[in-house]
Amino acid sequence: MSSLSSVEMGSTKQSVASVKWARRREVAREVLQNPLTVIGLVIILLFLLMAIFAPLLTEANQPDPYQSPRDWANIDSPPGVAGHVLGTDSQGGDLLYGVIWGSRLSLQLSLTVVISTLVIGTIIGSLAAMRGGRLDNFLMRVVDVFLSIPELIFALAIAAVLGPSFRNIILALVAVFWVKYARIIRGEIIRVKQAEYVAAARVVGDSTWNIYRKDVLPNAVTPLIVQATLDMGNVVLIGATLSFIGLAQAGLTEWGALVSAGQSGLLAGHWWVSTFAGLAIVLWALAFNLVGDGLRDVLDPKTEGR
Amino acid sequence: MQVRDYLIRRLALLPLIMLGVSVIVFTLTRFTGSPVGIYATPNMTPDELAALEQRYLLDQPIPAQYAAWLGGLLRGDLGWSGVSVAPVTDVIGSRIAATLELALAAGIIAVLAGIALGTIAGVKRNKGPDHAARFFSILGASTPTFWFGLLLLVPFYLWLDWFPLGRSTPDIYSSLAHYTGMYSLDALLNGNLVAFGDALRHLVLPAVVLGFGAMAIIVRMMRSSMVEAMSEEYVDAARAKGLPERLVIKRHARRNALVPTTTVIGLSFGFLLQGSVAVELIFRWPGLGQWVTSAILAGDQATIMAYVLITAFIFMMVNLAVDIAYAYLDRRVVLGG
Amino acid sequence: MPDQEPLIKVEDLSVRFHSSKGVAHAVDHVSFEIFPSETLALVGETGCGKSVTARSIIRLVPEPPGEYASGRVLLKNDDSTFTDVLAAPMKQVRAIRGDRISMIFQDPGKALNPALTVGRQLAEVFGEHRASVILGDAGIGGAKAGALVRRIAQQRAGALSRGAYSLVSRKKSIALQKSIDDLVIRALADTGIPNPRKIMNSYPHELSGGMKQRVMIAQALACDPDLLIADEPTTALDVTIQARILELIHQMQQRRGTAILYITHDLSLVREFADRVAVMYAGRIVETGPAREVLASPQHPYTQGLLAAIPRSQTPRGELAAIPGSVPHLIDPPAQCHFASRCQWAAPACSRDVPRLLSLSPKREVACLRFEQAADRSSAPEDMPIRAEFERKMTS
Repeated sequence: MSSLSSVEMGSTKQSVASVKWARRREVAREVLQNPLTVIGLVIILLFLLMAIFAPLLTEANQPDPYQSPRDWANIDSPPGVAGHVLGTDSQGGDLLYGVIWGSRLSLQLSLTVVISTLVIGTIIGSLAAMRGGRLDNFLMRVVDVFLSIPELIFALAIAAVLGPSFRNIILALVAVFWVKYARIIRGEIIRVKQAEYVAAARVVGDSTWNIYRKDVLPNAVTPLIVQATLDMGNVVLIGATLSFIGLAQAGLTEWGALVSAGQSGLLAGHWWVSTFAGLAIVLWALAFNLVGDGLRDVLDPKTEGR
Repeated sequence: MQVRDYLIRRLALLPLIMLGVSVIVFTLTRFTGSPVGIYATPNMTPDELAALEQRYLLDQPIPAQYAAWLGGLLRGDLGWSGVSVAPVTDVIGSRIAATLELALAAGIIAVLAGIALGTIAGVKRNKGPDHAARFFSILGASTPTFWFGLLLLVPFYLWLDWFPLGRSTPDIYSSLAHYTGMYSLDALLNGNLVAFGDALRHLVLPAVVLGFGAMAIIVRMMRSSMVEAMSEEYVDAARAKGLPERLVIKRHARRNALVPTTTVIGLSFGFLLQGSVAVELIFRWPGLGQWVTSAILAGDQATIMAYVLITAFIFMMVNLAVDIAYAYLDRRVVLGG
Repeated sequence: MPDQEPLIKVEDLSVRFHSSKGVAHAVDHVSFEIFPSETLALVGETGCGKSVTARSIIRLVPEPPGEYASGRVLLKNDDSTFTDVLAAPMKQVRAIRGDRISMIFQDPGKALNPALTVGRQLAEVFGEHRASVILGDAGIGGAKAGALVRRIAQQRAGALSRGAYSLVSRKKSIALQKSIDDLVIRALADTGIPNPRKIMNSYPHELSGGMKQRVMIAQALACDPDLLIADEPTTALDVTIQARILELIHQMQQRRGTAILYITHDLSLVREFADRVAVMYAGRIVETGPAREVLASPQHPYTQGLLAAIPRSQTPRGELAAIPGSVPHLIDPPAQCHFASRCQWAAPACSRDVPRLLSLSPKREVACLRFEQAADRSSAPEDMPIRAEFERKMTS
């Protein structure tokens, strides 16, 4: 299989690469056949556009764009009134502004956390699995310890200790989420290590790094991609919960914080703030869950059986 | 026997892991402004503070500090809770029952509803009920618990006034003799149906909200294991014996599908613990979750750290219990038949 | 035997499966008969439709994605009328299953529920079909029959039903449980299982493969069915056990006069145990007849190929005569002989028409247009135009 490609030369190597791309196109096509997945992708695209083009959609508030501009003349006004499409909260903060700029924060949060945890988790997990022995044992005990504390509670404690701020939420989530990826990649490496074609590659003389690069990583990529996609949604969910509880700075246009801001209004009948902010969270998480599930159905041979 | 070995190994690991958790928590405490703050009660004199610092070896290198901290822990000294104005250990005692009651109620709802819906979805695969269940399940996984709680509060509490906030009506509550600390249970043990009704009225809404997310996961797992079970040969064999379909589903397919589902039930308890933070906050439920949220706002480190330790411990115990149950249920796997 | 009325008449049965790739014609206008107390073997390679045919007899094919596109399966009743299993209401079909027609499956490890004891699974059959007998033995009369007995049969064999107390006295429910247990133990003992009481309380994974198959047989024969369908009953077993299980099945057959439908690809089984054989290929029956005769002088080229492919002690080393080519897929099959592309006797007509089953004699049928040429091996087939094409394919 792929381990032979180091022995091949010239045109055969090329055909191996083109086969890889053909397979990727095939996978993409299969993924797109699922209407739910497509819906998820569309929603993600919309959020992406919203986040990137935020300054164009609404004028950035000064000095801090992540604080909603306050219209003190129109506090607690319902949607559609006085030019506030989604209404305002009890301090006159425009909700549409909040949702749009909140998408930037969500993007920032999820991308940073997911990419960081992927990298950290992969490195640590690979180290553990490739070296094996005492290092592996130790690292896996560490992972066990991390996993015995429920994610939200762990992140909550870290963020509380560091001090309420958005940046600390990111740090806290990175510190908690990396274990998942470490475990996945370690599992994959061990599985591949035991597989026969690695033994064949060793016989041929492939170095450890080459085996890792060509045999291990391509196979491990699948569960990692699925998990990363799902985590893009999960991170925002947990992050919103943390800011709802109060671990973000005051007045931040983060969706969870916005829901919290709208709480008091709820009981007075001002439903729109919490509702729309919360809807944004739901849509974001839903989109990534749909895409993640769609990917899993296609990539994972042990699918649920549709 | 394999079962016993496996369980002994798990039990042996438990203290080790708890130790690891304590290391993490200890590390976190050293990040806070003043490590002694955990133990300091208000209105302490500088002399008393100095004495505390002596006691917990705060002038010594870190390992010694850890030893002192751990020693204090094992002696039952978890510090002073600023928000509750009492030693942490006292507060835990009074609040843990409330959280457990909520988690149990939510868990029961999640498990029963989840199994029922998952079974239907698995049997009627790819038809109406299945799509509904899967949609519902994915929605459950995408909805933040706190928002869902708020969403239900408005109609049921604000408009209809069916369910009140909080845990109990004080007069009714205090009229009971408290055996377990769980309102609904105590009401039953007292034979007091009015109190029981009161307990349920307060319990229903937060339990449903809390259980929703966990239910979504269980539905999903139950559905897929039902689909798998229904395609097994013994299901066809049962039909070939002339058994009515209802029996085939219940006694043959579902009984086997429940086994892998127990693992998910354990996992979802973690979700229940996590969700309880927001739910207790929103519904003013006097449990550990509400306690820690007020601690966060007040910067009460002692409470937060104690909360981490407690929840980790509870979580591990539940996981162990689930593993035992699973090992018992899946005799085939365990006994290697 | 053929002078009797048949017990089962399968007439023009077609079963199709709908999938994303198209509609597969798994069983294509199949007709055959099974006579009382005879052993009929249904032979063919994997995927030829024999399993689906067998399951159709008790309507076990799941109806999406499967579909009974045509035909009837007629079961003879005591009063000499026939019931069409495919058209009867499900309640009636369920009464037939396990009682008049039973089935045993290929892998007893998979066909027994791992979560229930063996005794309980057996008790289910009795609870379902012999409720009145059980109640009578226990001295309970009256209308509480079905639900009560089912409820008792729900408990572990040997344990008492707590639910029954509310309907009858405790003494009666003990008698009820004993009544069921007796039936179970007797059924197990009949198959030669030693220590049936202990086995009754065992789980399937605690038993060996051979023992499990005995349990399956006991379960299938519990209510003395008229027909036992055995779907590759020995394929999953050790060779040493295979013979014993087959002996057992035939012993029971002698004792009770059950008809047996063997689904198998094992021709030696056919030779030893079958009275008649029907050969299937790609969803159709291609040859039928008394087992000895068909094996001694096969008329259909496929049957000939099957027999030729069996390695014998005289076969020189290095020469294994496989049938060249592979089974055609069954999706939207063309209307022609399915075997034509692999057949060395194929003629142009074979690619145009579907060969019908012809009666060579009162007992022999074959579905082949070229059987005379195939039978006469000395005739040189080189002058057939299809032959050249065939040779070319085989050497490429």
